[in-house]
Amino acid sequence: MSEPGVSAAGALAALHTIATTHVLAIPDSENRHLYAAIDDDPDIELITPCREGESIAIAAGLWTGGCRPLVLIQNTGLMEAGDALRGCSVGPSIPLRLLVGWRGYLGARARRIPIDSAYPFTEPLLRAWNIPYSLLMNDDDLGAVAEMDRTAEESSYPAAVLFGNAFRP
Amino acid sequence: MSSIPTAPRHHQVIDRMELFRSLAARRTDEIIVTTMTATLQWPLVSQHPLDFDFLAFGMGHASDFGMGLALARPERKTIVLKGDGGLLMSLGSLVTMGRYGPGNLMVLLLENRSYEITGGQALPPRADFAALARAAGVEGGGRTGTGKVERIETLDAFEERYPVLRREPGPHFVVLPVHNAEPLPPVAHTDHAGRIRNLRSALGVTGEVSQGTSKDRRPAP
Repeated sequence: MSEPGVSAAGALAALHTIATTHVLAIPDSENRHLYAAIDDDPDIELITPCREGESIAIAAGLWTGGCRPLVLIQNTGLMEAGDALRGCSVGPSIPLRLLVGWRGYLGARARRIPIDSAYPFTEPLLRAWNIPYSLLMNDDDLGAVAEMDRTAEESSYPAAVLFGNAFRP
Repeated sequence: MSSIPTAPRHHQVIDRMELFRSLAARRTDEIIVTTMTATLQWPLVSQHPLDFDFLAFGMGHASDFGMGLALARPERKTIVLKGDGGLLMSLGSLVTMGRYGPGNLMVLLLENRSYEITGGQALPPRADFAALARAAGVEGGGRTGTGKVERIETLDAFEERYPVLRREPGPHFVVLPVHNAEPLPPVAHTDHAGRIRNLRSALGVTGEVSQGTSKDRRPAP
């Protein structure tokens, strides 16, 4: 079994596998190594908006124009971006690809008190949106990215991968 | 007691329907994204396959969607007709436009100083939208460093300026003070997914992936 956390290089390779053209991302503690890897990549364009609702709306425009964007977003940002997610993906059947950071996961698993309030709402929130998701906890799980891509494409609906550990350099 | 601050006084405003008629008459192959009250009146002057009604797609995000479209379709201009109330819902979008906005993006800000679609409630009176765009880095910014911010206060000036806006690289952020004298048609929400399908079809988008604009390696100033 791989060590905990996903390598940024492995995740970047998975993004190439699904032909990602753009990643919309705001840096956070968990995604920073992947963020840096995408920024250094010559083929995938990294766009850093100011808030997550912008990420989703820009991604919707890119997809409508024929690109294959992915939104790298923390669970807290997904909560912030609810109306954009509704209006720019769920409502119009835009198959948005979401890579969602599960802030609070590690602390909750270690039973550290207080539990980050972002932790318990993440899975119920995705279920409330009817967004299918799978877990990405180490490099053995990287196939989840291609599975998410297929699910989004076949359903014309957003799909997500949820990662609980910070990406490794 | 201190006096209540008021908006900068602008002596001229443009009739919005006249503006729309003028733009529709000059438009060729541009994508035009509309939102809020513009979605009600633009169809009165235009029924073009590259018109896109953003109503109910996400409050305040029409220009973000337009930026994504413009990045994906560099071969044509994308014009966004949005209001000042909508801009206030996502002011950070100006900063994003100032950093990444492509040269083929044009935002026409319809400044009426009110939330018109909900009954005309007043906007914060002192906000200067052109100054905000400049401070956000749009002027001289965007991905090619050719961003422009301007204010156009008459229909004649708009008609004189539009061919240049259409031709020269942006991104352009244009503030147009407008008023409306005509009754608004009722809001009619149409099929979200159908609107997207129609636009993709009009753009010729198939399963083939567009790379959009190539990755910008321009060093930060």
